[in-house]
Amino acid sequence: MDGFSGLLHGFGVALTWHHILLMVIGVLLGILVGVLPGLGAPNGVSLLLPLTFTMDPVAAIILLTSMYWGALFGGSTTSILFNIPGEPSSVATTFDGYPMAQNGRATEALSFAFLSAGFGAIVGVLLITALSGWVTQFALKFSSPEFFGVYFLAFASFVGLSGAPPLKAAVSIALGFSLAAVGMDSVSGSLRLTFGFDVLLAGISFLVAVIGLFGIGELILTIEDGLKLDGIRAKITPRDVLRTAMQMPKHWATLLRSSIVGCWMGITPGGPTAASFMSYGLAKRFSAYRANFGKGEPDGVIAPETADHSAGTSAMLPMMALGLPGSATAAVMLGGLMIWGLNPGPMLFVERPDFVWGLIASMYLGNVVAVVLVLATVPLFASILRIPFAIIGPLIVVVCFIGAYTIAGRPFDLWLALAFGVLGYAFKKLDYPIAPLILAMVIGDKAEDAFRQSMIMSKGSLAIFWSNPLVTSLMLLGLVLLFWPLLGALRQRLRPSRA
Amino acid sequence: MVARWQAELGMAALLAVIGIVTIIGALEYGVGWSPSGPEPGAFPFYMGIIVLLASVANGLRAALPLLRPGLWAGQAFLKPEQMRLVLGFTLPILGLVVASLMLGLYVGMALYLFGTLVLQNRYPVIKAGLIALTTPFLAYLLIERVFKVAMLKGPLEAFLGL
Repeated sequence: MDGFSGLLHGFGVALTWHHILLMVIGVLLGILVGVLPGLGAPNGVSLLLPLTFTMDPVAAIILLTSMYWGALFGGSTTSILFNIPGEPSSVATTFDGYPMAQNGRATEALSFAFLSAGFGAIVGVLLITALSGWVTQFALKFSSPEFFGVYFLAFASFVGLSGAPPLKAAVSIALGFSLAAVGMDSVSGSLRLTFGFDVLLAGISFLVAVIGLFGIGELILTIEDGLKLDGIRAKITPRDVLRTAMQMPKHWATLLRSSIVGCWMGITPGGPTAASFMSYGLAKRFSAYRANFGKGEPDGVIAPETADHSAGTSAMLPMMALGLPGSATAAVMLGGLMIWGLNPGPMLFVERPDFVWGLIASMYLGNVVAVVLVLATVPLFASILRIPFAIIGPLIVVVCFIGAYTIAGRPFDLWLALAFGVLGYAFKKLDYPIAPLILAMVIGDKAEDAFRQSMIMSKGSLAIFWSNPLVTSLMLLGLVLLFWPLLGALRQRLRPSRA
Repeated sequence: MVARWQAELGMAALLAVIGIVTIIGALEYGVGWSPSGPEPGAFPFYMGIIVLLASVANGLRAALPLLRPGLWAGQAFLKPEQMRLVLGFTLPILGLVVASLMLGLYVGMALYLFGTLVLQNRYPVIKAGLIALTTPFLAYLLIERVFKVAMLKGPLEAFLGL
């Protein structure tokens, strides 16, 4: 099924009252987790996922993706009104959003943020609609070595490009793969890395890891900062929104550039956070009002928001077509797909077109619903943040542990959630990146299978990864990215000696 | 005060140990070649090696500047007042886990909420009690009634026949 007819079919699947209701619920829950400190999109989706195990996969993915969109919007709200990014990807929004709010332009800043975020999201979905058929055709030619090549490329780009110290990124990734290997091995049936502990037989759930690393770890960090919430009040009237919307076309260059940056970073696993920073930097460089950046320049809100959302949506493309998530939240959803019994990857488009196109269609609708809802409910959600953290904090802790237990009903997971929480706190403070660890835990088995299948095909020779132009270029590109920091250091060392 | 280099070194050491444990665990299942492909331990074995080697390198990077004083100077990982805040938040969570495992999650969360609100934040007893009692009740309605998922229960629930 190609783009257009697929999309029409998808709208047929997505446009039911049941699904639209789920979108509304998902978006509202998403705004809530986006607004609350310690609960972000990856963590919110992880908490909700166990409750969808019994749902129909189409309904479940609509609920979860809508929550994702809502969380992205919620994160921007707190960035602008409280100078507290609800999500790492909305840090860049604080640079100009909060000053705008301080100058009495809170409504304008929020409207700019939501409208440009909506624009970015729609560009992302359009891209998915246009490219998914083509990517799938391409990916159907893949066999095990190519899939391993794609995984290798993704993780190499984390080491080389994520901005985290490369050796620490490498530790995170390898640790994630090791954790994924704990428990029953799906190929041989052996019980790996359990050391005789029965509680480890079923493995370590990536959901518990997300709840600990992102949720509890984030809360401890928040506490450490000695949180002072001093928000700016904003009331949004339809007329204000309309007035801001009329100004949007003036910012077409920023919108377009940021969408391109966002889509690129979403499809290659750079993720929304890197996209928003990069886009902010570019907007500043190209702006005629460069000196105004950081003091409340609308372009400084539009750029990171557009990129953040286009990256968030376009990250769904590699997730569905290649089984390779472009962000931590997409990784959690990918894990969900597998739990619902779906097989992410190119065959998903062939076997379950209703699911894939229903999801894509729901992304159009969900984002429109999200923009409308977030504009309508901002004052309400902002007032939640005025509840003292002394109450909110322990309540979020309780929600996290309820979530950790509902994943599998295992008491041991409570200990794991706490351990991951402390680890996540320390990792964040010491610049160990967390997203690649989650990605590695989710696709650990698939990557390992791809490696083992390749080895079986080649009877143990690594040469199979150089056996055709496609896999060779994937591996070469991966190696270049992997050693990119080393090349950079080498260049730096050579330069002074020449001078 | 915990200095940054101490934290870096401690984390590197912990991760190196995890790497070694992974390698030992992988060796149990063979890391070589079998007639049906790579043995089950092979993949975790190499991952353990990456964790170990990269952590040793990270540890050295943390420790070497000590020979040249001044490089890490003054970089704190945790200042004393931060430490108090962090422990004050984390230790009650430990209490929540222990209490929940013994008494079930509902009772555990009620005790935890009441404890943190009253003892730590000097919240009025009646208000705190209200929050501590309504939260488990709402959780029960949402989790067990709406979503029909069983929660970790203890002696109180058994006594009430839930």
